[in-house]
Order: sequence, then C-alpha cells, then structure tokens
Amino acid sequence: MIKVKNLFHSYSNDEKYAVNDISFQVEKGEIFGFLGPSGAGKSTTQNILVGLLQLQKGEVEVAGYDVKQIKNKMFNKIGMSFEQSNVYNKMSGLENLEFYGKLFDVETRDPMDLIRMVGLDGKEKIKAGEYSKGMKHRLTFARSMINNPEIWFLDEPTTGLDPAIASNIKDIIKEQNEKGVTVFLTTHNMYIADELCDRVAFIVDGKIRLIDSPKQLKLKYGEKLVEVEYYKNGELLKESYSTVVEEEKNKLIEVIGSNDIQTMHTKEATLEEIFIKVTGRGLV
Amino acid sequence: MIRKILLIFQRDLKTSVRNFITLYIIVVPVIFAVMINVFSPGINDTTVEIVLLEGENQRQEEYFRQFAKVEVLKTIEDIEERVIKRDNIIGVLPDQGDEYFILRQGNEPDYIVDYVKNLTAFDYYDIGIEDTTAEIVDYGRDIPPLKKLMVNIAIIFTSILGGMIIALNIVEEKTDNTISAINLSPVSRLGFIAGKSLIGVFIPIVGAFLLLLITGFRDINYFHAFLMVATTCLISVLVGFIEGVNNDDVMTAAGNMKLLFLPLFGSIAGAELLADKWQPLFYWIPFYWTYKGNNLVLSNTGSLLDIMKYSGIVLGISVVVFIVLAPRIRKGLE
Repeated sequence: MIKVKNLFHSYSNDEKYAVNDISFQVEKGEIFGFLGPSGAGKSTTQNILVGLLQLQKGEVEVAGYDVKQIKNKMFNKIGMSFEQSNVYNKMSGLENLEFYGKLFDVETRDPMDLIRMVGLDGKEKIKAGEYSKGMKHRLTFARSMINNPEIWFLDEPTTGLDPAIASNIKDIIKEQNEKGVTVFLTTHNMYIADELCDRVAFIVDGKIRLIDSPKQLKLKYGEKLVEVEYYKNGELLKESYSTVVEEEKNKLIEVIGSNDIQTMHTKEATLEEIFIKVTGRGLV
Repeated sequence: MIRKILLIFQRDLKTSVRNFITLYIIVVPVIFAVMINVFSPGINDTTVEIVLLEGENQRQEEYFRQFAKVEVLKTIEDIEERVIKRDNIIGVLPDQGDEYFILRQGNEPDYIVDYVKNLTAFDYYDIGIEDTTAEIVDYGRDIPPLKKLMVNIAIIFTSILGGMIIALNIVEEKTDNTISAINLSPVSRLGFIAGKSLIGVFIPIVGAFLLLLITGFRDINYFHAFLMVATTCLISVLVGFIEGVNNDDVMTAAGNMKLLFLPLFGSIAGAELLADKWQPLFYWIPFYWTYKGNNLVLSNTGSLLDIMKYSGIVLGISVVVFIVLAPRIRKGLE
C-alpha cells in the first residue's frame, strides 16, 4: 500500500536532509510503526506520504498513486489523524464531521457513529472551541475515519489522552485494522507501538536504522533469561536462568517443579531498550 | 467541484454570522444605507420650503405652492419657532400695508433666500408661470449629486468589506490549523480558493443591492450594477487572501485591509477634483474605473457597452494583480 524508495527531503533546499535516503514498504492490512525521537524525520516523512509536503527527491507510492503527481482522488483512500488537533472551533463537533464528510467523493460514515465511537456523544452540538484538548484530539481522530480510509495515517494518536480513552483509541485502531485498514503509525511512544504494530521502523536523524517486527526485535535483542522468585525452606530466593543453555533450562524446570513460585518473568528487552541499543539515542 | 465550492462557501457563511466582527461587516452596507438616507438630502429636501401665517393671504399661499413646499402655522410665534429650527425654511410674513417681510435664520444659502424673495415679488406683481419666456428641459436626473456620490463610495467600500471577510476566514483556518485537513481531502487547491472567494463576492453583491434599494435607487439597471460590483470585488478578494495568508491574527488582517481605503478615496478625489491632465495618474487604480462605472449605473445613463468597458478594465487590472499574487497565495495555503 505504501512504497518509499530513496526518499530525501531538505527544508533548506540544500544537503542538510531532514529525511535522508530512506526506503521501506508497508503491506496491505499491516500496522506499521514509524518510531523515533522528536526531530528524527517522522512527521516530515508522513507529510510527504500524504502530500502535505512536496516530494523533492525519491519515489513514493501511496494507495497506488504516485505522490509526485498527486491526484485528488487519492485522498478518498487515505485518512489522517493529526498530532495537533485541527478542527473548526466555531463549529460543533457534529458540524465539523458533517462538513468534512461532504468533501469526499466516496461513501462516508455516519458522523454520529464516529462521535459515539470516540465517546463524544452528548457533546456533539457543543462548539469545538469549547472542547477540552483531549476532546478535540478525539474529534480529529474521529474525522480521520469519516471516509473509510484504506490507509490510515495516525500521528501520535494517544498523546494527551487519559489512559481509559487512550485504551479506547487503541481498541478502535485494532478494530479498523482487523477490517483490513492499513495503518501508518507515527509515534515516540514505544508501548503503543509494541502493542499495536506488526512492524516498526526506527528513524533517527532522518535515516532508518532498522525495520522489523517487535517480536523479532525482542528475540534478537532480548537477553533470553527467565527471572524467578521462589520460596525455598521459608526463604525468598531470586534467580535468573538462561532459556538457551541446556543445563540452566533443566535447573529452571527443577525450580518450578519443586518450589513455591512467587513471580516469574522473561527478561525481554522493551522496544525502548532496543531502540536505545540500536540507535544509541533516547526517544525524547 | 461546484458542490464542494458551495460547501466551503456555506461553511464560511455559517461561521461568519457566528463571529461578531464578520457579522458586523455583513450588516455594514445596511447601516451605510440608513446613514445615507438620514444625512443626505432627498429629492424633496432640495425643494425650497416656505412657512406662512394661516389664512393671512390664501391667494399667495396657492401661488407659492406651485413653486415651493409650503407650511402654514397659526401664530407669528409659531413661525418664528419654526424658522429657528435646523432646516432651511423661510418665513414670509405680512408687514405694514400690503408689504411682506422675509424671516430667515441667517444661515440659509443665498439662493434659497433669493428664490423666496423673487417668488414674493412675482406674486406681488402677479407674474404667473404662463408669463415666462423660457422652457425648462431636463435630463430627468432627480437624484441629488451628494447622495449619488455617497452611494457610489459606499458600494466600493462594501466590496472591500468582502475581502476583509475572506482575510478573517483565512486567519481562522490558519489559527485552527484546518487548512492541512482540507489539503487532505479531495478538494483541489483551486476549488478551495474558489470556495473561499465566493463569500467575498456574495456579501458585497447582496450588500450593494440592499444599499441601492434602501437608498432609493430602484429604477437603475441591476445587471449593470451587478457587473460593476462583481468585478470590483475581485481585487478585494485577492487582497483579502494575501492579508489572510500573511497574518496570524484577526485584528492585524482586518487592519491591513484598510490599506485599500487609500487608493479608494484617492482615486475618487482625483476623479472629482483634479483636471483632466492629471487623470492618467489614477488609471492603474481599479476603484477609479469602478467609481466612473458606478456613476453611470447610478445615473442610469450608461449603456451595456459602457459598463462592460469599465468592468473590463477593472477585471484586467485584477487579472494582472492575480498573476502577481497567485504564487504567494498558493504557497500561503500549503
């Protein structure tokens, strides 16, 4: 659904590239995470993909359309939820969705359904200018679904939302993905990426350092240890056993079989730890 | 495409009436019209008014009524009180014998006083309208020139207000950051600009027509008026876009639109006050041609060809301005 080949972008039209020779593909039905710290080039890449920034150098294809010569029809197939909510403050939530929906040439969703989906029902007739930041963000998120997009670009979809609403948003993303929607998720929140993404790309200083599935990354970069807390002769003990070395695997089996286990954790690396290990940079 | 342009226009219209500043701008033409009616002299107001003592000289009263607007009051005190009021009414009161004296406030134009003096004398010497040796021929222009001038200026002013509304709407799109959302919908940049422009033409046309109706210009050619207003709006629309994309707050955008008032009033003053040899200095200002075209429309003396000539010149200047400003507008909307 998305093909990017040797993409460059410079805001100063010189050799200082904000995006520097990146290439990747996103398959249909995939949730692709684009992860990196602020200023890494995530939003620049995303803005080029959706046509908000002009393609300078490289090849980009989105939903079968060449982004170099964007056709308006392409926008019937894509949706985008912006990090900074951008709705008409003088119009109500419902009016915002109704107006935006009418701009599309394809069958659109019932605005009230979307309002309900993001938990704004009962407030749909209030002017968006009177909404809280989180409510505006949810309205922006709802609007991005109005045209039933085939490719859904999400820029920090849960930023600034309380945990319950963030969880609801994640559920909606999963639900849409199960219906076949391809998701391009831009975030610096590794927990969301870990939970949602089929594959992730790490981008730092405009370059992609790595692309893989979270599971593979954990297997590759994790320590492959199991940490066990157990009681033995009334004393609480804590041990780590390798899941690779045969001798330690047997010891682990023995401990589990003959003791009262309190806690047991695999020593998986988190995506954040892997990111730091691979890029040598933090995510903030 | 047309549907989307109308959608954008409808949205702008809806939010404009919810905003106090834009709502005020929309009703300004009506306020202008009412003010013009209040302050400018109407057709009847230009007639000389005379006040007489009731029943004093019935024949004189009938004679004056042929040539002036006559009021009759019961006492001399009433007449004195009436003459002191702000308008230019003149009292004709009996003096000793069969003579009359003229009572005036003192600040009336001389021609009015002379006119009343003459009428009194003509009546005294029994000179009637049949004794005249001249025939009056007129062009049927019964609108006072000051009123025409004020309506003309108000129409051009109204067209600038359209640009102001566009500037405010663009600033709203920028502050709400909604342009990026529109850019991700299947609305072309041209469609968006056209949709945004529509309100800048619609409001001035409706406003100008209301202005014309309220101020009494009901018998003019409204198609001619439409042509002049619609073409004049174009330049304001373009400036409205530029001010919108260049400014981030409503007050600055509205304030900068006032820059257009200088060429507006400058060209009108030039057209009215300067000699012919200086007129070419104003040829580059579209409002100069609009003013001339509107004059023809308001006096109902212009042919379609005349109106097309003036609106064509305004259109031509607007096209040149568009060519210069289009890249900046397009970039500003990205």
